[in-house]
Amino acid sequence: MSRDLKDELKEFDLAKCVQCGKCTASCTSGRDSNLRTRRLVFLVKSGKDVSMDRDLWACTTCYTCQERCPKGVKVTDAIIRIRNAAAWSGNRPSIHLTAIRSLLDSSDGFPITPDVAKIRSMIGLPIAPMDVAHDEREKERFRKLVSSLAISDMFKEG
Amino acid sequence: MSYTLFPGCIARNMYPSIEKSTRMVFKELGLDMVEVKFTCCPAPGVIRSYDFDSWLVIAARNLAAAEEKEADLITICNGCYGTLEAAHRHLSKHPESVAMVNAKLSGIDMRYGGTSKVVHFVDVLDSMLPQIAEKIKVELGLRVAIHYGCHYLKPSCDSRRSVESPEVLERIVRALGCESVDFPEKLSCCGAGGGVWSGDERVSLGILDRKMRFIKESGADCILDICPFCHLQLDQGQKRLKNRYDVPVLHLNQLIGLSFGIKDKVLGVHTHMVATRDIAKKAKRARMDLEAET
Repeated sequence: MSRDLKDELKEFDLAKCVQCGKCTASCTSGRDSNLRTRRLVFLVKSGKDVSMDRDLWACTTCYTCQERCPKGVKVTDAIIRIRNAAAWSGNRPSIHLTAIRSLLDSSDGFPITPDVAKIRSMIGLPIAPMDVAHDEREKERFRKLVSSLAISDMFKEG
Repeated sequence: MSYTLFPGCIARNMYPSIEKSTRMVFKELGLDMVEVKFTCCPAPGVIRSYDFDSWLVIAARNLAAAEEKEADLITICNGCYGTLEAAHRHLSKHPESVAMVNAKLSGIDMRYGGTSKVVHFVDVLDSMLPQIAEKIKVELGLRVAIHYGCHYLKPSCDSRRSVESPEVLERIVRALGCESVDFPEKLSCCGAGGGVWSGDERVSLGILDRKMRFIKESGADCILDICPFCHLQLDQGQKRLKNRYDVPVLHLNQLIGLSFGIKDKVLGVHTHMVATRDIAKKAKRARMDLEAET
């Protein structure tokens, strides 16, 4: 694990974890996936590199573990930060690429489709929503903003 | 301070019936909205998991856009709330993040000042129960399976809401003349969050399947949600589960719209994947009874 990540994770109080397992017992996802939150926290606490762990991506970020942790460890917030490190190491589900590219390009993670445009008009809404995605000037400003962000570097073509 | 509606991409671009119902219900309740042009919140599950600071800057752009119109943001989506409220909270505690965000925003002549609040529409409606009661035209008497979803309640942080036994939706459902049915897994996640909906279909549908089994057993007439992303999972997800359950799904503003006597096709409730026709019929019958009386 990189020194930076270890420092970053300090604010989530992983050191307070007593391995009681309430997180794993409360995990919505763990019943259908191989995500074992207690183990993950143990590994990170022990300084192990978990950035290539695929199960990190099975967390639905429901925050139940964090709410129930008797020691106040910010478990879900820590998982999100660990995912950041994983994503930068190249461990990322390829399917997320579509949503992120769409966000960076159009300003919407879920852009409108012609079918939905029809539904909007059928139920009496303007076909084009009042948003940045349908305002060329605002969209250009948004693109300028995202071009200055680290996420754009992560998803440069090639 | 006025309000602006933050509809979010799913209500705008996938379930416009939720946007339509929201606009109609808010209008009936006299909630005037200033229009602000927003982007995706951005979605907390995927983008925050990739790069926290980029997520924070895009969220701050939306908050700054509302500030320019001196408006507080009303979200109708737990995901948008999860992003905008969390970003606002993070920025209120991390001055170094405010400096980072404003350095980026200055490139497009915007600035985050933290003056616009983020509110979830459920809290707004809960504070307006007397006004809602005045507008109710038909009592639908539905048995409702309440789905809170995650990010309205959690992380609880400074909020006074109960995470393990919340009551606000039960209170609103009762005020509408409906009944809330209990079922195991009531407070569990729908299975869509955290990028799992797109990232891992097997896990996502496994979580939904368990929840749906209990909802079906409860005998509920419909599921009630307060989040278009949960709505998408509950509605489209049932199709992906081969229609085993066939329980119609309503966003709270759709149930309120129907209770206000607005026709299902005007609200757009008929455009869902799981047919809502039984509920529409019930609403129509109630409207006709009312007309016969007067």
